[in-house]
Amino acid sequence: MSADVAMPILVVDDYKTMIRIIRNLLKQLGFEDVDEAADGTEALSKMRERKYGLVISDWNMEPMTGYELLKEVRSDTTLARTPFIMVTAESKTENVIAAKKAGVNNYIVKPFNAQTLKSKIDAVFLV
Amino acid sequence: MDWIEEKRSPNIAALLRATDREMLFQVMRQSQVQGEDLKLVFNAIDAAIYRELKAIADYISFLRSEIGELQANEMRAKRIPAAGEELHAVVSATEAAGNAIMASAEAVMSADAANFEQYKTFVEEQMMAIFEACSFQDLTGQRITKVVHTLEQIETRVARFAVATNANDKSGFANEEEAAKAERADALLLHGPALEGEGIVQNEVDAILDSPKLGAGSEASEGGPNGGSSSQNDIDKLFA
Repeated sequence: MSADVAMPILVVDDYKTMIRIIRNLLKQLGFEDVDEAADGTEALSKMRERKYGLVISDWNMEPMTGYELLKEVRSDTTLARTPFIMVTAESKTENVIAAKKAGVNNYIVKPFNAQTLKSKIDAVFLV
Repeated sequence: MDWIEEKRSPNIAALLRATDREMLFQVMRQSQVQGEDLKLVFNAIDAAIYRELKAIADYISFLRSEIGELQANEMRAKRIPAAGEELHAVVSATEAAGNAIMASAEAVMSADAANFEQYKTFVEEQMMAIFEACSFQDLTGQRITKVVHTLEQIETRVARFAVATNANDKSGFANEEEAAKAERADALLLHGPALEGEGIVQNEVDAILDSPKLGAGSEASEGGPNGGSSSQNDIDKLFA
């Protein structure tokens, strides 16, 4: 199974530039239906309004971080199965371990390239 | 005993009236000797206290001078706000340049290539726009140099003050806001970007995510497949 290019994707980052980069990279990969949120709170609100096929989130945001968003999503029975990729400059081992324990599906360290994003999305949807 | 005023010291006068005169003279002589000794003692104490007070006064004066050398008001009112403005300008310029570059790239990617000559001209224009946008690095470099210079000045002054006053650092935080920020950063693992060579790279991240042991007993498998395998050696390398 590979990722459905028609699925809606939510990109969460407090930097518009990074959202634009990810949106463009996703567009190149064939994903056109991309929504955006500036932090975890906004993302959670959007996720409760629309079912997303994938969430791509930064870690370090205010007021709700990507890590908090991940934990909220995993503890919400209606959202818990949403695939979640963390894309972040947080590159300490403890961050990766914490994210994995919280249920992240993949983790990309910034700066990254299109190939890395593609391979991680593929990995999430590869059965 | 007319030198003892009846009105001012009635008790002493009464005592003297009832005391043997010879004995009184002896007591008075003894008292005179003791008084001179006490005067010496008090003079010595006065000198020691004076020296102590003068040392304290000198130290206070020295501290005032050192605090003045810090130029804390100038730092607070001018240098630190100016450095903050420079950094904000760097963020804005970087963002503007990033947007300009992306706009050109997006325009090229969505351009109609049916007419080669028109397409070539358009691409060249967009490439020139990208070159122009990249000039932000010159200005941001200069701004960051100014901020670094300010930090160096602050470092020099604070270091001088710490050495001059032999300052001992208190543990803890300067205020509640600082403590709350540190607590949040600690709880949510907010380290920010690592310097080159300090953080882990994508391959190491992948090794952690591929570890079957790290996700055991947690909710890590929730939400989608995350399979694959990695040797324990890969994981061990992360903690070496």
